[in-house]
Amino acid sequence: MYFSFVLIGQLTDEDVAAALSGGQPDALALVYERFGPLVYSIALRSLGARPDAEDVTQQVFVSAWRSRDRFDRARGTLAGWLVTITRNKVADALRSRQRDSRVLLQVTGGASVTAPEAPADQVVDRIVLADELAQLPESQRLVMVLAFYSDMTHEQIARVLGLPLGTVKSHIRRGLQRLRSRLEANGVAH
Amino acid sequence: MSHTDPEILALRALGETAGTARDAEHAASCALCQAELARLTAVVRLARDADPAEILQAPPPPVWDRIAAATGVSVPLNVAAPNGPVLNGPVLNGSALNGSALNGSALNGSGTLAKAPAVPETPAFPEDSRGFRSAHRRAARPRRLAGALATLAAGLVIGIGGTIGVAQVVKSPPTHVVARIELSPLPQFPQWQGSTGTAVMRSTASQQELVVTLRAPARPGFYEVWLLARDGVSMISLGDLSAGHTGTFIMPPGVDLRDYSRIDVSLQPFNGSTQHSKDSVVRGSLPVTALGGAATIRS
Repeated sequence: MYFSFVLIGQLTDEDVAAALSGGQPDALALVYERFGPLVYSIALRSLGARPDAEDVTQQVFVSAWRSRDRFDRARGTLAGWLVTITRNKVADALRSRQRDSRVLLQVTGGASVTAPEAPADQVVDRIVLADELAQLPESQRLVMVLAFYSDMTHEQIARVLGLPLGTVKSHIRRGLQRLRSRLEANGVAH
Repeated sequence: MSHTDPEILALRALGETAGTARDAEHAASCALCQAELARLTAVVRLARDADPAEILQAPPPPVWDRIAAATGVSVPLNVAAPNGPVLNGPVLNGSALNGSALNGSALNGSGTLAKAPAVPETPAFPEDSRGFRSAHRRAARPRRLAGALATLAAGLVIGIGGTIGVAQVVKSPPTHVVARIELSPLPQFPQWQGSTGTAVMRSTASQQELVVTLRAPARPGFYEVWLLARDGVSMISLGDLSAGHTGTFIMPPGVDLRDYSRIDVSLQPFNGSTQHSKDSVVRGSLPVTALGGAATIRS
């Protein structure tokens, strides 16, 4: 029994960043295709409402495209840059929501309004992590998913997957370190 | 004395008791190793709090249209993006895709999952289930694993000699996945928020099949799968989605899927009507380029 399952034409994040920096005409579509779920998921989890999350997602990519000259690959990753823009747009959306509810409360004679919260770091982190997990090479990703969510030890994972023990241990070490680097690249302290 | 092997630290971060007593002794007294362990443990904790099956969602298709309109970029998305949901190669069959295969005997054979207590139904909404999760973390994990694997299956390249290759894995004639898409609720149907689905279009030598999986609450009536035409009016009923909320539908021959590219799941009342109830649970669009023929299936 053998099966394979291939995702074709996978570009690395560096390829996508290079396309944007190089002003390639289809770069925005590439950036959106790669990072749309990341941006939308952060917005959705921070704002709750789908229409608001869709608006923010639109704003982030339009803004990223218009200010693409300001994206400097030497200073950070494209993912980190987009997450920063997303945080700002989410904060704007929350402020505008607060203004709306203040107006509403003035009209209805209501009392105080609670301050909007910036997107919680935990929310952003969890989504960034899920995004990076999805980017791992496939066999490594399966090892990491089993290690995180199955209660299996690395010996059991090796047995179940038919992989050498050393390969599983190395996947786990490199996988954890890669996830950690990605979180740190997003400027979140841990 | 040398520092603790990074692989041992990684395993310890996952909660395993790895390494020798000497490793443990060193790690306990070395600030560097402790700091490294703490950083890795934080990643593990974060990962276990997250749920890859539920947390990453693609924005609905109209968002790209709005971005394209606002920027004047006119590249159609799935032409520009080679990493769209277009897949090829012989694939695992439907039951493996929806994760149920992984509840199967191979994993239980490890002895770990099998001894987990009966798993309560995992709530569909991560927002509502935070407390539930942390309280029932260990009990809930096997089910989360199935969900996580179902999501990640789309990108897996597995060359496994059979051990995880549970019985369900393909022995039948070669099948090609043409497209795999997420189905999600429409904003105008708030009662279905939180419901999700997937649709996998696959192609065999003789026919095209659509495997639809739905995660939605049990409601009076039954779920029905439809193909919607681009005109927004014409539709074709593919059939019922039964109790397990997974169904395989053979595509009617002669239907141009480039026109009937949208998939809709409705909740139908038991009233004898064959019309769409207008109660749409989830919906999604197959990438038109993937339906145009073999030329678009990249290799």
